[in-house]
Amino acid sequence: MDFNFSDDQEQLRDAVRKWVDKGYDFERRRGIVAAGGFSREAYTELTELGLGGLYVSEELGGLGMGPVEGMVVMEELGRGIVLEPLAHTLIAGAVLTGYAPADVQAAWCGKVASGDALVVLAQQERAGRYNLAACKTQATPAGTGWTLTGAKSVVPAGDVADAYLVPAVANGKLALFIVARESAGVSAKGYVSQDGSRAAELHLNNAAAQLVTADGQTALEHAVDIGVAALCAEAVGVMDKTVAITIEYMNMRKQFGVVISSFQALRHRLADMKMQLELARSMSYYATLKLNDPAPERRRAMSRAKYQLGVSMRFVGQQAVQLHGGIGVTDEYIVSHYFKKLTQLEMTFGDTLHHLGEVSAHMQDTAGVFA
Amino acid sequence: MDLAFTPEEEAFRQEVRAWVHANLPKDLSHKVHNALRLTREDMQRWAKILGAKNWLGYGWPTQFGGPGWTAVQKHLFEEECALAGAPRIVPFGPVMVAPVIMAFGNAEQQKRFLPGIASGEVWWSQGYSEPGSGSDLASVKTRAERVGNKYIVNGQKTWTTLGQYGEWIFCLVRTSNEGKPQTGISFLLIDMKSPGVSVRPIKLLDGECEVNEVWFDNVEVPAENLIGEENKGWTYAKHLLAHERTNIADVNRAKRELERLKRIAKAEGVYDPATGGAEAQRFRDEVAKLEVDVVALEMLVLRVLSAEKSGKQSLDIAGLLKIKGSEIQQRYSELMMLAAGPASVPFIEEAMQAGYQGDQALSSLWPNGDMRSAPLASTYFNMRKTTIYGGSNEVQRNIVAQVVLG
Repeated sequence: MDFNFSDDQEQLRDAVRKWVDKGYDFERRRGIVAAGGFSREAYTELTELGLGGLYVSEELGGLGMGPVEGMVVMEELGRGIVLEPLAHTLIAGAVLTGYAPADVQAAWCGKVASGDALVVLAQQERAGRYNLAACKTQATPAGTGWTLTGAKSVVPAGDVADAYLVPAVANGKLALFIVARESAGVSAKGYVSQDGSRAAELHLNNAAAQLVTADGQTALEHAVDIGVAALCAEAVGVMDKTVAITIEYMNMRKQFGVVISSFQALRHRLADMKMQLELARSMSYYATLKLNDPAPERRRAMSRAKYQLGVSMRFVGQQAVQLHGGIGVTDEYIVSHYFKKLTQLEMTFGDTLHHLGEVSAHMQDTAGVFA
Repeated sequence: MDLAFTPEEEAFRQEVRAWVHANLPKDLSHKVHNALRLTREDMQRWAKILGAKNWLGYGWPTQFGGPGWTAVQKHLFEEECALAGAPRIVPFGPVMVAPVIMAFGNAEQQKRFLPGIASGEVWWSQGYSEPGSGSDLASVKTRAERVGNKYIVNGQKTWTTLGQYGEWIFCLVRTSNEGKPQTGISFLLIDMKSPGVSVRPIKLLDGECEVNEVWFDNVEVPAENLIGEENKGWTYAKHLLAHERTNIADVNRAKRELERLKRIAKAEGVYDPATGGAEAQRFRDEVAKLEVDVVALEMLVLRVLSAEKSGKQSLDIAGLLKIKGSEIQQRYSELMMLAAGPASVPFIEEAMQAGYQGDQALSSLWPNGDMRSAPLASTYFNMRKTTIYGGSNEVQRNIVAQVVLG
């Protein structure tokens, strides 16, 4: 039982933090949002730090690091509300390394690690909500490969990514495929999402695909759980910074002749925000340290974590805006962007009610972290 | 980073578990697991069993005859005791006053008082709060006047937990009105059998007398019972408050009680949606929320323990433990009562005692002698105290805000 970070992990944190502070300030981010919500240049800078290969094994050209390193990186990116979807790069690295046949690994792992290819998970369908088994996209054998037909929704960086991990039904069973964006039959319509980042509707019309694994349900659940853990860490970074911004404002803003941090009603609200932040951080650690557990325990842990994170994100985001008063609802001031990021994170990989349902359905007779 | 305890820590846990299993009287664990009333004798019996093993002062360093356990070992000991259904250790002697005597008492005082605390022979009480000094503890008015080699004590303490059983009481008393209120307070040990000490139990909303008023009417206290220096008592009291941090979250008991809540909900038909329908689903979802709360609190506790273990500056999150822990205690007691619903309405004192033989005429309420619903309302009422005592949760929020705002 030890929650200290190793020296290497601290160095990794410092490197990412330095890039966020120096290379990804609010003005640059604002420019990226205005330009559509994704910057290939910024993504390349991230992968130049080695982050593309974090979860790709060393044999396949990556760093083969573990969930703690992933958490450290995502926290720092959250602190800077970075738009580029590194969580999906982590998913792609782990899923390709863990499930794909050798030829698919050879084709993609090196490029994911180097940043030459951005591969994102495209699992959402309009009617599916958060049910991973709900999939209308169909896979048909075609020569040595497959073709996919269907539509995926809200795919992160969907019209600029280089390839997609796509669940589709093959022979009545969910399987997982990889589809290159340049393949015939692939079209994507991009748009800006709530938090300013980019997403797309993805249309597949007999699009050429390679099979990653025939056991799509297992791989998809694992992929989403990696996403949940990454997102919990990212959210902790977002909230940590949100609380810091709010504290700075409360200690500076004066009303009735005094700084507003002297008012007890507001101080108690801030204490409640700190509570939610630390409960969230605790559950992010928990998710990270349970990510390599067997699937049933891992899934239970992710739902517990995402439920707590959802509660915390909504509270911290809403109260940060409230404590800022009028300036909190402007686009010009930074805090509304943190609020919007938290809002979108809640609805990604299962919202709070969804995960409450999962926790409820899978409760054991025992209780606690080790139950 | 690692969630698992080390093999050595796990071995320690097994050792404690085996010992507790072999030595905790079954009638006591039965009472605890069913929230039945505990008597003075019950609490003292367990204290003496622990004392004989040298585990009553489980937080003590070896230098004072304690086991010298690490923060993690203390946590594991607390957890094993809680899960086994051991009565809570009455903290005033071994957990609260003993560390102050060790840190600030003289060798004579240590020799005189510590053995009786370690063995569980002597029952200690805490004399802090007064009618006019609750959250504002530094305003205490109970006066101790130095006359020759004695102090003459006059005043009143209140909310003295289990003070009706107390043999000794450690008090914050006013020895000076100079300067700030905090600088005129002294830490005095008082024999409750002294002439002029009187105790009146206060009946609480749950029907029990868990707290007392204690009056001091010209009570003569030998000056040798002063801990440390005169007018430095506030510093010592703060040391005491800082001493037990993770334990105040009571997460181990919360785990035990959450398991009990699930059993109660199951038996009352509000846990399985397949048979209990939408009402069971709604109730089960509330239990699920509490389940996450308990995991999050436990992780928070483990983070504090990890920081202590690695000798780092303790985290700024310790203040959160009391707030969250007490809210969870209130919530599980609330949900237990709601699970039983109308069956929790009867408030029959005899049925909250162990050994109650039941009443044929009440079999419609408690069929087959299953009286699980009998104490639920009482526990719910009792738990209202948790957000008030030990520094109200509003005071705790002030402290948290102070830390984060700088």
